[in-house]
Amino acid sequence: MIHLAKEDIKHTLGKFIVTAMGVGMLLGIVLIMVGVYRGMIADANVILDDLNVDLWVVQENTLGPFAEASRVHEDLKNTLKGYQAIDKAEAITFQNLQILNGNRQISVMAIGYDIYGDINPINPKRLIAGRVLRNEHYEIVIGDKTGFKLGNKIHLGRDIYTVVGITHGTVASGGDALVYLSLKDAQTLQFTYTNKRVQTDKARGIVNRDAHLVNTIVATINPTYNVDKTAKELRKWLHKSVYTRKQQTYVLTKYVVEKASKQIGLFTIILVVVATIIISLIIYTMTLEKIKEISIMKLIGIPNITIIKMIVEETLILGILAFVFGNIFSHLIYNKFPKNVVLLSSDSFMLFIIVVIASIFASFIGVKKVISADPTSAIGG
Amino acid sequence: MSKKQAIKVENLNKSFGKGDTFVDVIHNANFSVDKGELVALIAPSGAGKTTLLMMIGCVNEPNSGTIWLGDEKVYENRWLTKETRKIRREKIGFIFQAHYLIPFLNIIDNLTLLPQANKIDEKESHSRAKELLKYFDIADKEIAMPSQLSGGQNQRVAIARALMNNPEIILADEPTAALDSKRSVDVVKMLKKIAVEQDVAVIMVTHDEAMLPLCDRVLIIEDKKVVQKSNIKEIE
Repeated sequence: MIHLAKEDIKHTLGKFIVTAMGVGMLLGIVLIMVGVYRGMIADANVILDDLNVDLWVVQENTLGPFAEASRVHEDLKNTLKGYQAIDKAEAITFQNLQILNGNRQISVMAIGYDIYGDINPINPKRLIAGRVLRNEHYEIVIGDKTGFKLGNKIHLGRDIYTVVGITHGTVASGGDALVYLSLKDAQTLQFTYTNKRVQTDKARGIVNRDAHLVNTIVATINPTYNVDKTAKELRKWLHKSVYTRKQQTYVLTKYVVEKASKQIGLFTIILVVVATIIISLIIYTMTLEKIKEISIMKLIGIPNITIIKMIVEETLILGILAFVFGNIFSHLIYNKFPKNVVLLSSDSFMLFIIVVIASIFASFIGVKKVISADPTSAIGG
Repeated sequence: MSKKQAIKVENLNKSFGKGDTFVDVIHNANFSVDKGELVALIAPSGAGKTTLLMMIGCVNEPNSGTIWLGDEKVYENRWLTKETRKIRREKIGFIFQAHYLIPFLNIIDNLTLLPQANKIDEKESHSRAKELLKYFDIADKEIAMPSQLSGGQNQRVAIARALMNNPEIILADEPTAALDSKRSVDVVKMLKKIAVEQDVAVIMVTHDEAMLPLCDRVLIIEDKKVVQKSNIKEIE
């Protein structure tokens, strides 16, 4: 049995492979784009996973610290602890900061927590060097992405902090590294103004009373209580917005990552369309290069279906080979990106289906050329 | 139609264009070719030799007339079958000026492609191909690519390809045009041998008058009409 597609590819193997590699790089970028989106979702879930709490109590009518500014009183945690349904409750602050490492400005998200409290946001599995915070002041645990080492000094606000621990894989939804401070230090950084501002405020008769504010209270509930029912109850009595873990995940993906995902999605669609057009043009050119042979085949009586099968098979082989190269390419470069890129086999499979469908579409232009080819054109009759 | 007759053409007409661009190419052509005959078709360039060949070969559609191929009337003012390509595949072998072998298929695959399309058993078609390659003295070239063969060898493969489907008719369009005079004589002698041994009707378009004595008859397109000459002396 003669496989025309196989024999034709064998005849121009080098050219075919280089072409497939070119298209493969484009498909690799598609996988990277999807991976960036997956990375954003994964990053967004790092804080939620590490805190591993059931409820997020935030300022009334706000979506919480990841989507918009939220301020609640620190002592709200004590009120919460009074509820039978609540097992543990702690105050947490979130603040975006710029820190300087040499000449490099690094964006980080600082998480402040009570180092003596019941809920610790530092996942011990992610701590790769040093220790968690033990002193209430001037200690910092920092993500390895920042490049800081144990014992390094970092100037934040009016104080100098010492790096006591290094974590790995701890990032916020935007890809910024997480740093961990004691609640007191974090409150000072976020809510205490400079000396000059304090002087000016005093002169205006304003007294800074914000020092005991935090951004959210997180809580776990007793196993015998229902999370949704407890959240509903708390909303009634606390006059605060209360989100379950599921809702907070939704807020992060819907409001924080949504725009970026739409943008990435659009880029991905454009890249897939471009890849389809490129495959179409390649197949069209390859068909044109063979048009004399195709005409002769038609002339001697070879049915169209045999020739069309060759074109469609070649397109599919090109698409699949490009997909394989794309996968290899994306796995070679994904960790070179500054943001977290998560490559999932389910996304690869989806791209495979798209590539197969796109290849079939791409072959149409070559098939059309085969159907319209004049059998006598090759002999000039 | 007699059992010996392989091709019969009656009142065949072909023209191109309309109005100012109208060109009458073949007018009321009437002739027949028997099995075992090698018939030369000669005419000046642009007189319609290839057009006539392609009409007999069910490639180009005439304007009117009748074409018989073997026992089957294939054209009577219209194609009498939708599958003209099937007729080509099963009844006709084509030979061209250049060999026009498929460059990405080796010699044996070039030969067995047509039988494969005719759904002939692979073993059978391979054995036929080997037999033909032996007949043409190129048995050792079966796995070679066309690019590895000389022009003469490729032309022999092309003739072998034309015989793969055991055709009743061979249509050869200037098969010697690209060959030197010695090779040209060899090819025409080969076609004559095939016509006799395989009981095939061969129509060969040629410009080379030196080949005419090797043919049984000559058809000339003169002033759009097809005129039959029984031998070279009549042409002179």
